[in-house]
Amino acid sequence: MADEDLGLDNLFAQARQKRTALPDDLAVRIQTDAETIRLSRLAPAPRPKPSIWARLVSTVGGWQGLGGLVAASAAGVWIGFSAPTFLPDPANLLTSQETTFFVADLGFDSSFLENTE
Amino acid sequence: MEDLTSHPQDVRGADCFASTLSDDALLRQFADGEAGAARVLTDRLGPRCYSVAMRMLGNRTEAEDVTQDAMMRLWQIAPDWVSGQAKVSTWLYRVTLNLCVDIRRKKTPDRLSDVPEPEDDKASVVDRMQDEARKDALQSALAELPERQRQAVVLRHIEELPNPEIAGIMGVSVEAVESLTARGKRSLTVILTGRREELGYDNGG
Repeated sequence: MADEDLGLDNLFAQARQKRTALPDDLAVRIQTDAETIRLSRLAPAPRPKPSIWARLVSTVGGWQGLGGLVAASAAGVWIGFSAPTFLPDPANLLTSQETTFFVADLGFDSSFLENTE
Repeated sequence: MEDLTSHPQDVRGADCFASTLSDDALLRQFADGEAGAARVLTDRLGPRCYSVAMRMLGNRTEAEDVTQDAMMRLWQIAPDWVSGQAKVSTWLYRVTLNLCVDIRRKKTPDRLSDVPEPEDDKASVVDRMQDEARKDALQSALAELPERQRQAVVLRHIEELPNPEIAGIMGVSVEAVESLTARGKRSLTVILTGRREELGYDNGG
């Protein structure tokens, strides 16, 4: 067994001596992989796609714009419910049956119409 | 335990300082964006990875692919690496062995495509085959061992790793490693003895 072990140990020793260095092209490939990963980590992360809500806010001019929009809408609702006295009632304006108008209001010389009578 | 991380094989100029760092520290540096760390790690760990893959697979192209793949996984895991939990080399050996097992499982039983084309120099074919076989007697004998025995023998007797580290790599006890290497060596001896005659050792070769 000792002789057999000796032969095997010799083969192991030869195998250890024959341990090859990393082939140059393989070393380059490994380095390229490392560099690709390193640079991808250094680069800023891609921005996530904005949500529909974020895009809507952006369209109306950001949060300030949205605030103005909300304030204007609230004022509109308030005016609708409790209009100041000097404003005409919008409901009456819409449903008014009064269709009388004066030609003179059209803003041009209508005297020739008077001559025909 | 011998510190296997202290034998960089190829260190160049600016990497001298990095070469004194542990694998752990280098991996952390790489995760922090230090380019030189990858170079030192490649020089230090790449050859071991490649050597094991060559012995496990006996095929240069496959060994190169496994080495590149294992190193790629190292670069990828760098930011998540927990220092002190395991040795980087232990982790890398384990990944390499697993990749080798995957490749061997994927291989079809038909290995005809791996056989090189015969050359015209017919007179020396037998001599050359015997010579190649002698040179690679160990490799061909290793190929006949069961997977786990081959892993244990390669790590113990070619990579010269201590048994506790082999146990960590293979996920078994130290006793199991001792048993695997002992059985592996016995099997190798039997295989090699049986081949002596067919390899022409008795003809003064």
